[in-house]
Amino acid sequence: MASLAGVRILIRNTGKFRNPISRTCLRSAVTQLQSNERYFHWKRQSILTHVPQENIQSIRTYSTNPDIKKIEERVLNVVSAFDKITSDKVGTRVKQVRQYSIAEPMSLDLIRKRVLLVLNLYDKIDPQKLSLDSHFINDLGLDSLDHIEVIMAIEDEFGFEIPDMDAEKLLRPTDIVRYVADRQDVYE
Amino acid sequence: MSQRSKVIQLYKTLLYMGRDYPKGYDFFKKNLRRVFEKNKGERDSEKIDKMLAHGNFVIKELEALYMLRKYRTLKKRYYEKS
Repeated sequence: MASLAGVRILIRNTGKFRNPISRTCLRSAVTQLQSNERYFHWKRQSILTHVPQENIQSIRTYSTNPDIKKIEERVLNVVSAFDKITSDKVGTRVKQVRQYSIAEPMSLDLIRKRVLLVLNLYDKIDPQKLSLDSHFINDLGLDSLDHIEVIMAIEDEFGFEIPDMDAEKLLRPTDIVRYVADRQDVYE
Repeated sequence: MSQRSKVIQLYKTLLYMGRDYPKGYDFFKKNLRRVFEKNKGERDSEKIDKMLAHGNFVIKELEALYMLRKYRTLKKRYYEKS
């Protein structure tokens, strides 16, 4: 394939082959091509070697509880890596650095606090009466519309949707805490 | 789906829709609540169906309102005074 294309290029480019072509002429062209091809190949390779060979790494750093020793180690690593970089190694591409932060670890206690905070901020609930076991409708005097609003506030707080079927059963703050904990796979 | 959960669904959807209401979310919430409470004694299922249909109509109207508002804003940005 390559040689055929080469023949075409040669025919197009050199005036020699524009004249009526005889078989022998072609054959000689093919042999010429083979040597030419090597030449091309060599040339291509030489181009390739000029391209800076770099391996692009993406570094992912996660934020965990940092302690000073680890930070020191990391900084030293970066500095020593930086020393090895010379101008010919630096490509035009920028190294990608991705930084992620892990979701805060949920615990039952935290969920409980967040639920109670949301409920305290809801204006129709009296914070004095509110406890984990108080019934929304019987103890806190909410009606079903208020209950829907409470559930919506909880949805906003924890960032997932609670289907209506489940929402009907969540009548006490403890129920909500258990539901959210089940949903987030928190068991302790 | 029971009628009760349909009503709950409607209320929830309307609350979501009202978040960007031009006169403010509080205004919307207050009026929505008043309307729902006005009809809370209704027991006739046919009438409730009619009201549900009306509620869905209101949702469509709200959608149209937001579309119109978006259109006007865009238009204002392209043509200063017209």
